[in-house]
Amino acid sequence: MADDDAARLYQAFVSQDPATAISVIEQARDGGMDQGALFDTLFAPAMALLGGAWASGAIDEYTFTQASVVAEQITSFATPPATAQDTGITVLVGSMHRDHHTIDKDIIAAALKDAGHRVIDLGADVRPSEFLERAEETGARIVLVSAQMMATARAVARVREMFAAAGRDDMLLLVSGGPFAADPALAREVGANGVARGAESALKLVARIARDRLGAGERP
Amino acid sequence: MTGRSQQVRLAEGLARQGHVAPAVNACYQALRIDESDPFVHCLLAELMLSGDFYDEAISAASRAIELDPECAPAYLALGLAYDRRGGMWDRSILVWHELAEVVPDLVTAHVQLGEAFAAAAFEEEAIDAWRRALELDPSEARAMYNLAVAALKREGMATALPGFRKAGELDPSQDDLFFSLAGVYDDGEEAPDPADVPPDRKSRIAAAYGLAFEEDYFAAAELIRLILDEDADDAEALGLASYLYLKQEAANEAMACALRALTISTRTPTAVYCLGVAFARRQGLARHAARVFSALAKAVPDEPMPHVLLAESLLALQRFSAARESYLTAVALDPACVRARFGLAAVLFTEGRHAEADWEIRRAAYHDTRRQGLFWALYDEYAEGRS
Repeated sequence: MADDDAARLYQAFVSQDPATAISVIEQARDGGMDQGALFDTLFAPAMALLGGAWASGAIDEYTFTQASVVAEQITSFATPPATAQDTGITVLVGSMHRDHHTIDKDIIAAALKDAGHRVIDLGADVRPSEFLERAEETGARIVLVSAQMMATARAVARVREMFAAAGRDDMLLLVSGGPFAADPALAREVGANGVARGAESALKLVARIARDRLGAGERP
Repeated sequence: MTGRSQQVRLAEGLARQGHVAPAVNACYQALRIDESDPFVHCLLAELMLSGDFYDEAISAASRAIELDPECAPAYLALGLAYDRRGGMWDRSILVWHELAEVVPDLVTAHVQLGEAFAAAAFEEEAIDAWRRALELDPSEARAMYNLAVAALKREGMATALPGFRKAGELDPSQDDLFFSLAGVYDDGEEAPDPADVPPDRKSRIAAAYGLAFEEDYFAAAELIRLILDEDADDAEALGLASYLYLKQEAANEAMACALRALTISTRTPTAVYCLGVAFARRQGLARHAARVFSALAKAVPDEPMPHVLLAESLLALQRFSAARESYLTAVALDPACVRARFGLAAVLFTEGRHAEADWEIRRAAYHDTRRQGLFWALYDEYAEGRS
């Protein structure tokens, strides 16, 4: 069946008929084929047929090029989505008050965004009260505070105090930056729930929070 | 003063041949005859630099510049000595500025100036310097890598990745991998005229590789057509056809040929490579590209480039620690691989390991500038100007 579909898709390429090509893909999807499998089981075999037809001289160079243009036009229907789906999880990100280092924070924020999280980047030099205010406004439950200096890292404790004073003990506070990487005890001292040791670490932490909390029926 | 003394010429000859210790001795003897000869100090700086004696190189190059502020090769040696030594970015910036004024079209001066600015946290100035380098030479890969790293620092990996890929395409080492997989090496012989190629498969495919190596893609394609007309199931010919399409930015045609080749024979490494590259150029196919490059890296584990390509696909998947491992493998296989060093630097930035990342960029510059051998070009130009 998949072979037939691939042959139909190939025929649509060669006939320069993007509408038929899309409909072949839609039919396969409607028939239960997973989006992730469309490329391997349909698009790639059709492209192999196209390559074979060009090699054997069944189609000329011009047709090969035009068929490739059609393939280009419909690629997005057959490939996995280029961007991650929205996870629905909001993460507030910012560099601590009096801290103007932004590189780590920016890289982490971008990685979280690329993974489909809703990132609200508060920038650099963010006061503890602003973290609380924006958390209240957006409903975010995860806050990631970056601090690259010892003094500003210690000052992250004020963010936790601010949350506690507002009765928001449910807020999940993640920290990142050199002082926290160098001294794991520091994160506990400032009341953090976890240390992001870089972009991948931040992704894993947020994924774990999401899994645990979603498992408990909550959405962070 | 004009020209060089016989003693200087002796030192120079030894240095050009890589006889470092005798060349250094000859330099000291030349200095005993004339301490105020900028050529000797400049040569000594280069020799010290080649032995990684940075303080000595700085001292000799500084003396050469004192004696003649127009001594361009001494500026080069001084700037490189500052950069390789590290921690002297303020001075390095001044030197590269100066060299860029003395030799305005020297691309490396702008690239190094940018790296010195970046190390001193002048990001905007660094970006301007790398852009200037690319204006002078659009194929300057290191300037492009640096711009990609700058994009990573500001906007994350998704923005930086196209820059890494673009830089990778400027870097000739990726094409070298294709020809290495095909078992084709530069024998110094010119590729034959397609009209003179004997009408047998072996001669045609050899000639097609030769023409592709010389970037005569249309002539190579004509020979491939002749091979396929006789046997449409020639997987190797299809692999080369795929490469030729890739070089013409026709990723879908390349994908079609590579897939067909692999349908015929999965043991066609050139087609595996082309398929991976075609996948890597498509949004949403990073996982496919990683799978293909992973297979290629396993098939040719001693080649650094498949590990680099795999690492870049892993970056697109945000699998940074796995990418780090692949880059480390590539660097272990080829410490001079600039692309792997920059990629590793990018991963280290994502992990907040800035000092190590900066070190990798410095190592990339170290190997790149050693490879370029710019000193002798500037030296000869300088000598000509003074004769």
